[in-house]
Amino acid sequence: MKSVIGLEIHAQLLTETKAFCSCKIDVNARPNTNICPVCTGQPGALPVLNEKVVEFAIRSGLALNCKIHQRSSFDRKNYFYPDLPKGYQITQYFHPIATEGYINLDNGKKVRIRRIHIEEDAGKMIHSTENITESKESLIDFNRCGVPLIEIVTEPDMEAPLEAKEFMEKLRDILRTIDVCSGNMEEGALRCDANVSVIDDNGRSSSRVEVKNINSFRYVQYALEYEIDRISQSLKEGKDVKHETRGWDFVTRTTVSLRSKEEENDYRYFPEPDLPVLEVSNDLIEKIKNTLPELPDQKAERYVKTFGISDYNAKILSRDRLLSTYFESTISAGVDPKDGANWIVNDLLGLFNADSAEFDPKKVPVDTLKILVDYTNSSKISRLSAKEVMSEVYKSGRNPDDIIKERNLIQVSDEKSLIPVIKKVIEGNPAVVDQYRKGKTSVIGFFVGNVMKETKGKADPKVVGELVKKALDGKI
Amino acid sequence: MIEKIKNHTISYDESVENAINKIKKIDPKIKACISTPVVNGKDGMLKGIPFAVKDNMEVVGTRTTCASKILENYVSPYTATAVQKILDKGATLVAKTNMDEFAMGASTEYSAFFTTKNPLDPERVPGGSSGGSAAAVASGMVPFALGSDTGGSIRQPASFCGLVGYKPTYGLVSRYGLVAFASSLDQIGPITQNVRDAALIGEIIFGRDPKDSTTVEKNLSLLKEIENSIKNFKFAVPKEFVRDLNPDVKKIFEESIDRFKKMDVKIEEVSIPSLKYSVAVYYIIAPAEASSNLARYDGIRYGLSVEGKSIDEVYMKTKDEGFGREVKRRIMIGTFTLSATYYDAYFDKAQRTRAKIVDEMNKIFDSYDAIIGPTTPNVAFKIGQLSSPLEYYLQDIYTIPANLAGLPAVSLPMGKIGNMPVGLQIMCKRFEDDKMLRIARNYEKVSQR
Repeated sequence: MKSVIGLEIHAQLLTETKAFCSCKIDVNARPNTNICPVCTGQPGALPVLNEKVVEFAIRSGLALNCKIHQRSSFDRKNYFYPDLPKGYQITQYFHPIATEGYINLDNGKKVRIRRIHIEEDAGKMIHSTENITESKESLIDFNRCGVPLIEIVTEPDMEAPLEAKEFMEKLRDILRTIDVCSGNMEEGALRCDANVSVIDDNGRSSSRVEVKNINSFRYVQYALEYEIDRISQSLKEGKDVKHETRGWDFVTRTTVSLRSKEEENDYRYFPEPDLPVLEVSNDLIEKIKNTLPELPDQKAERYVKTFGISDYNAKILSRDRLLSTYFESTISAGVDPKDGANWIVNDLLGLFNADSAEFDPKKVPVDTLKILVDYTNSSKISRLSAKEVMSEVYKSGRNPDDIIKERNLIQVSDEKSLIPVIKKVIEGNPAVVDQYRKGKTSVIGFFVGNVMKETKGKADPKVVGELVKKALDGKI
Repeated sequence: MIEKIKNHTISYDESVENAINKIKKIDPKIKACISTPVVNGKDGMLKGIPFAVKDNMEVVGTRTTCASKILENYVSPYTATAVQKILDKGATLVAKTNMDEFAMGASTEYSAFFTTKNPLDPERVPGGSSGGSAAAVASGMVPFALGSDTGGSIRQPASFCGLVGYKPTYGLVSRYGLVAFASSLDQIGPITQNVRDAALIGEIIFGRDPKDSTTVEKNLSLLKEIENSIKNFKFAVPKEFVRDLNPDVKKIFEESIDRFKKMDVKIEEVSIPSLKYSVAVYYIIAPAEASSNLARYDGIRYGLSVEGKSIDEVYMKTKDEGFGREVKRRIMIGTFTLSATYYDAYFDKAQRTRAKIVDEMNKIFDSYDAIIGPTTPNVAFKIGQLSSPLEYYLQDIYTIPANLAGLPAVSLPMGKIGNMPVGLQIMCKRFEDDKMLRIARNYEKVSQR
């Protein structure tokens, strides 16, 4: 069995105003406050294209290795729904602005992008019951109506749910790096519909099933895993797989049938007569190309080359612009790049992940990280204590030196205070001393451990080890 | 009107009050007005001039019904750009006029409210769809009115009422605030008593509008240009326009050709073969665009809303009760021709044929200054006379090509059959509105003599 996966992604653009009118975009605004005759579909109102939308779409196209078309045009997609005031969505059906791009996955596979087009978002509805068919009352907020989107359509180039998840993550990283989309799937700023079919060992292909309402990166994987299992099972049992649209239900972690393809709307696409052909100059495309920031893959490559850090760390540090800026600041502050990378990837990000929070450089400032790395390298505090301090800074934002002082974390490394403790431990364990004498040198660890216990972890284990050996050898 | 403005013979209160009184007195018979709000303009050259607009243009605070039940109680939240430009020049709006529902028709008989009478013969229609605007001007309620022209809706009623009806080049006048029927064809223009008034209003409403992406800025000085002579101009008369012409209309048209010849204009018969497809093309493209433009009247946000058990039932009941027969017919035609199965056979083919018509007409303008012909196949018909839709659709046969090609076109009185006038239509190249009105003005001068 082999699966074939293609994705259709909608990304909300971070423009200040809507796609075809000058209403502000503000997700926190009270319902129906950012609306006007155009975005509520009043009679006689006409759309006017926001130039920023074109710029953002071109920027996305270039970052995704697409061909940008100097001439593209708008069309109407007609269907009835209460959140769609005009009864049609303005989109680019016949001539999209960008085509033929790609994203490379870590396994070397190239996932081709068929097209990117500009369109507008619909309003938001809240129903008194689960859906509109049973709902007695429904509320509509038109603030989101007319918010610009780009739709990105891939070729069916992915074969595994994990590849689809990786594609989505890479796409998010790119769109965030170029500042066109927040990339937040949970909030619906980035939405993914997946098309999947399964080919059995005899080369027989199932119908294609579309899975909608996938609202997190994990669910891209889970929904596809579920759906591929479901289709494969049907194929095995010789059952018919319906060509249909299904919805991901994150509560039950299953997909449910929404409608068969025969029930799909005929969208009656035709050219939008209210908007002229969209022409963009080569100069504009070049200008946008020249202002593109370094993209995640390019950045990772540079990190490996210039700083000698591992591929793994480089990939993680280059994904998010806040994170890469933070990493580069620690290097400017004098932290060794490899140390910095390890601390950030292994320790710092762990704190955010545990909270399922987005990385925020203010939580543990660059200065704090530098202090902790320096103290550890000079054995002023132990690695373990440093981690503890970092966690406390993350939680409370307090000064690291204060925490070290208050918790008495400075390592004891002076022989004068350590020797009595070591002697006490050795005297208390004559049997183990005997083993050492018989040649079992590994028991040094036992003594070091006990000394650490006696000093409540404050002793410098390296110094303790040396002193234990000396004491056992009778040199002290 | 223009003379009065120049000579400052208009007293604001008097003329506006006269208009209001006249409407009160004669409109119960003519039935040109759907509502009669009074909206004063600012200070300007039109101060003291009353005017009317077709009830498919938004004027803030007034009802804009499109002569449809579905918008019967809809109050405009904003004002159309073209109307605002006239208000900014000082004129006072005194009426919003009757029309065929959503501008789909040629007689006002398809108004959901009532049929307007032709002031020259109350048994006849005033034409349409801007029939209320034409009747208001013809009966002297107002000196000018705005109409909209998608397939002849300004020119045909002007022809039927003995007036000047001017459809500017597509893109010269903003459509912002004009309730859309067929967006690629709709254009606002004036209906006036004479060519100079049409030129005056044209100049005022022209201009690029940041709210309408299909508008352009052109510096046309119509009033100055139209007084120049048309000596040595060359006109084309398409065979297709005169072939099956009613003999009475033909006679009048031939007389007008003689008048032009006396002005040293050369007139030749030409053939524009694709013109025979223009009605067919129009009745595919216009309903297709309309089916999409009218989707928004769904009973959710404004206008008529009929309750139902489900959202689909709300849609169906609202549209069933809200739209009239002709509107429903065109929505169904448009929905059909845009459907995935028939798109190539109908809509796409119509678009390609439209391009061919544009092409063939533009070629004529390489050798000729204008294309002329009668505006309508006949004089105003009697109320209830045309019963089949097809017969009705053929009313637009001469006026449709200008909309398909985005050309400027004007109708002005050419002569009368009995008491009923019939119009002469002049079309020029895109953005040659000045030249076109110059021809019209020259003709008007000799025909009035």
